[in-house]
Amino acid sequence: MKPARSFTWLRSGCIGGVLFAVGIVPVILSKEPVPVAKPPAPLNGGASYVGEAVCVACHTTQNKQFTHTTHANVFRLNPKNEKEKLSCEACHGPGSNHLKDPAGPANHGALVGFTKEWGTPVAQQTMMCLECHKGGQRMHWPGSAHAANDLSCSDCHNPMARFSDSGLIKKVSINETCITCHQQQRAEFSKRSHMPVLDGKMTCVDCHNPHGSTTASLLKTDSINETCYQCHAEKRGPFLWEHTPVRENCLSCHNAHGSNHDKLLQVARPFLCQECHGNSGFHQSDLYNAGQLVGGGAAPNSRVLARSCQNCHSQIHGSNHPAGARFQR
Amino acid sequence: MNRGVQSYSRFLAWLAGSLWLLFASGVLFADSAVGVGTTLGNSLSVSTQNARPLDADWAKAKHTPTGQMFSIPFHVPTAEEIKKTAAGWEYSGRLEFGVVGGDADERNARFRTYQDPDNGAYLNNFSLLMKQPGSGYYFEATGGGAGHDDQYYGVQFGRYNDWKVKLYYNEIPHVFTDRYRTLWSGIGTDALTLLPGLTAGGSGSTAADNAAVAAQALNNPPTELSLKRRQVGIRLDLTLSDAWKGYASYTLEKRKGARPFGAVWGSANNGGLAPVDIPESIDYSVQDLLAGVSHTGELSTFNLRLSASLFQNEIDTLTFQEPYRLSPGAGITTTPAAGAFTQGKLDLSPDNTAYNVRGEYTRSLPNFYNGSFTAVLSGGKWRQDDSLLPYTTIPNLAMANVTLLPGGGWDTTGSLSRKTADAAINTLLSDLTLSLNPTANLNLKFKGRYYEAENSTDPFLLVNPNAVYVDSDAATAGNQTGGLTLNGVTGVWGRVLNDGTGQNVLMGANANPAGNIPIKSVYYSAQQYRLGATAEYRLTKLSNLNASFERETISRENRVRDRTWEDKAKLTYVNRGLGDSTLRVSYEYAQRRGSDYRISTYDDAFSSALVPMPTTTGTNVGTWAVRNNSGIKTFDLADRDQHVANIRVNTMLRENLDASVSFQAREATFPDSDYGRARRSQRSANLDLSYQPSPRQSIYVFYSYQLGKSGQASIAQATNAIAIGQVTALGTVTPENAIEIASAPGSPIYPLARAWTADSEDCNHVFGAGLKQELGKVSLNVDYTYSIGRSGIGYNYTDGGAASAVLAGSGMPDLALDIDYLDASLRYPLTDRLAVRLFYRHQKEHIRDWHYQNLDAIPVVGNPAALPTAVVLDSGPHDFKVGWYGVMMQIEL
Repeated sequence: MKPARSFTWLRSGCIGGVLFAVGIVPVILSKEPVPVAKPPAPLNGGASYVGEAVCVACHTTQNKQFTHTTHANVFRLNPKNEKEKLSCEACHGPGSNHLKDPAGPANHGALVGFTKEWGTPVAQQTMMCLECHKGGQRMHWPGSAHAANDLSCSDCHNPMARFSDSGLIKKVSINETCITCHQQQRAEFSKRSHMPVLDGKMTCVDCHNPHGSTTASLLKTDSINETCYQCHAEKRGPFLWEHTPVRENCLSCHNAHGSNHDKLLQVARPFLCQECHGNSGFHQSDLYNAGQLVGGGAAPNSRVLARSCQNCHSQIHGSNHPAGARFQR
Repeated sequence: MNRGVQSYSRFLAWLAGSLWLLFASGVLFADSAVGVGTTLGNSLSVSTQNARPLDADWAKAKHTPTGQMFSIPFHVPTAEEIKKTAAGWEYSGRLEFGVVGGDADERNARFRTYQDPDNGAYLNNFSLLMKQPGSGYYFEATGGGAGHDDQYYGVQFGRYNDWKVKLYYNEIPHVFTDRYRTLWSGIGTDALTLLPGLTAGGSGSTAADNAAVAAQALNNPPTELSLKRRQVGIRLDLTLSDAWKGYASYTLEKRKGARPFGAVWGSANNGGLAPVDIPESIDYSVQDLLAGVSHTGELSTFNLRLSASLFQNEIDTLTFQEPYRLSPGAGITTTPAAGAFTQGKLDLSPDNTAYNVRGEYTRSLPNFYNGSFTAVLSGGKWRQDDSLLPYTTIPNLAMANVTLLPGGGWDTTGSLSRKTADAAINTLLSDLTLSLNPTANLNLKFKGRYYEAENSTDPFLLVNPNAVYVDSDAATAGNQTGGLTLNGVTGVWGRVLNDGTGQNVLMGANANPAGNIPIKSVYYSAQQYRLGATAEYRLTKLSNLNASFERETISRENRVRDRTWEDKAKLTYVNRGLGDSTLRVSYEYAQRRGSDYRISTYDDAFSSALVPMPTTTGTNVGTWAVRNNSGIKTFDLADRDQHVANIRVNTMLRENLDASVSFQAREATFPDSDYGRARRSQRSANLDLSYQPSPRQSIYVFYSYQLGKSGQASIAQATNAIAIGQVTALGTVTPENAIEIASAPGSPIYPLARAWTADSEDCNHVFGAGLKQELGKVSLNVDYTYSIGRSGIGYNYTDGGAASAVLAGSGMPDLALDIDYLDASLRYPLTDRLAVRLFYRHQKEHIRDWHYQNLDAIPVVGNPAALPTAVVLDSGPHDFKVGWYGVMMQIEL
């Protein structure tokens, strides 16, 4: 094996290492205090915290549902800091001013609300959530596709009740939550070949991080192919004989969500393959047609039957056989 | 023993002796940032969830900030109704079991693709939730589909806000076909043996062999080809402190079964002989290990993650007997002279490993324009080093112009240039983002990304180092015995194909060289740079405008274009304050261009590197000059102009009625692509209505439409001969311009009169509706979906090529798929703890795929007296219609 191009590794490693040193070393060595999440600064001109008991005295229906949620379990059973002990006011802010006029629309500013009706700016809603939930899985939220579209956390989540089995999402499942906006993908999952999303065996979050990532399509890995290899590790290789467009991008040939064609392919074979292959050797460049189907009127041709090109080139993702230069073994 | 430990011990003892029912609880294994396994369920659990009774006390519908109604939550016990043990553990749970009947036994692969219902007793699902308020300990378990191929189980326990352990087991079936007509026994093993009545190596009469294969295929009952994934995993999450969290997980997945595959025989460049469907045996195991730690501070956050993935193929070669009398490749002789090719051998997916280390860091910069800086560094390595097979399993292959030295038999690894694959790819990602807020309403982001995938594998040389040519130079009188040397290796170059029924060996049959024989493998590496900037301006409290620009440059090794660069500009406008509506609009334009194309990209991988193109006038240099039609621009590298427009409106028509309308238009043209993919477009439209008049009723309706089109062109090759000195429409051929002329559209190889075009169109309509209604004590839930898919291909041609001299019509028959799906559920509580749920599911699919037209009746295609054009043993997808039902009892704790 030839050595990795050490200059590139070294160059990139140095850049990355310096960058990390800028932040990591101070983190580790500095006396940056372990944050004790403080209650937020009082809203609405000096409101004070009234305590959960006051909230649930009125909001009995909400409390009935809230009791069964993860937040309630954390806040009530094992709070770790002063903010978590606040329970309701940890998310909604201090409630004393809210008590002065609980139902008045003009007094909505006294609390942080997470519904359209309440009107709290999205940025403020998000700030409340990120006071506890920043970093981790949400490190790339600022500037992500969902954040740029002015989505609030409560556009997908509803921690006030247990709608879903987990994740405190607003619908019964992750997929139903995503589909409230991504209806196009719902249609794609209904096609002939599709990921087992609507079958209950997979969710959007198996491939995507809705909280943001380093990729444009919010993938959880560094690249499209690495995402696919999570479940299709047999395609990872590397192989003795590589099919280079396959190695570059699985989506050169496949649709990610669903397709009218077999195997989530973008176009029917052999036409898909012929978008690149007009190689010398005749059969790649010929026009295959309906006459060559069985009963079509002309001599049948294997390139329009069954798996088409893959009747012969079955190892199309790559071959490890010494004779596999044409992916036939 | 302190009180906490006593309590915990009692809990474990109690748990060990009990199987309790659960109120639905969930155990998601993976999180949103890493890993797979974000749901446990199956096709029945989806409808079971939707059929749960609603909370009749819930307040009127509220809306998300975008304007979508929040759902009515499910009924939950009040504080007084929550059950407790003497030790203070609160618990709830449910079990649903019963009988399934009707058509649940249907074996159609389209019905069973990812699910496994069957008539008979059925444990649909169970769940248990226990928590001890005093200590914060909890235990959850869930599961369903017990005993079926889509069963699932999950357990989670721990202490809230402290630590948790998750364990899960999940099965996912995947049925490929239910109409495979096998010729072999041993499906799912490493050896396929022909069934009685078929002769390995053929009988000597091709007509008799064809008849025997057809009889076997038509008389055998159809077989299902499928596989099943079985996954088990464990994950530990720890809250180490307010600032530090850690996690570690291990998963093991086994995948076992068989799927349709293909094997072919013979030939070198003009396609194969007698391709036959064979069942590929699948026996994979994948182990994934993951560990990570995260830190959240006042100013900085940090994630570190290490992962390892180990893929093992327990059946990494597949030997299959074949039923035909095949001839050796050109110049090859066998012992015995006839009937030697009794079997072939495939090298299936090799074992591989993948490792990755990833670090992410964000630092707030409150004193620098209230900004932040994020850096991600990730490095990985994929490795594969399987032992290589020899070219053939057939012994005693001899080649006319080749003398095998001791150890050089084509059926031995002595004929290989190396014994193992020794393959590796290294990946590296650096991603940097600087975010600044120069004003309260303006955010600027600057982003740089570098991603590299470098294949560091040494090219595999297709050379038999233990062989010499009888005559290595036809130009010199008399035999020139010896090998040819390249890269310091001497031997006979090229490969024995398809177990010896073909050969693509340079001068293997005689000393006349060719220039298009593969002699070396080619590996792809790429470096991607992405630089961009985004400006987000908040126009009002409820509206904002985003503008972004990005340039992506990709440098590639071993593709026809060394470098491409793509500029992408995007505008987004969001307004959540248009009355009761939210509008999101975006438009993106991307333009990709690149460096010059190289017509003969892989010349050093072909025999032209060993034997230069002849220069003598009159010599046919076709095999040196032509690799591909140089007019074809591979679409993933080609110049491309792409427009993507999105519009989405969410509106509250009434307090309890909301609507969503969305459109997307995607248009890509390839301005420089006279051949290959010329254009691609997609239009999507969606309409959703959601109505919740009361906590006891909700209704939804939706419609989705999608139309995708693509167009392509090519030229059917007329000949593969072009000579030095030949006069063509593009000029007189010389050694200097032979490649350029021969590969070009309009050359004798690719005459324009043989150009053809094909246009593909995919059209889909999906309609759905659903109702959830509480009628007194009864809960009714109905979901319905109707989907229509049509895909057509039309073509135009003057002369589509010699192999398609008789052309039919102007297009292929449409691919069609119509799906009719109804799921209805009625739940009636008999007592406080006992309920009965009836469900009915109607599913109907009509599918038509021209690839399988008439193949169910004619599995052996072609001239009965000649080797078959194809042996297609999979009859393909077919219609089904089922109605199945379940009578379920629900028991609640």
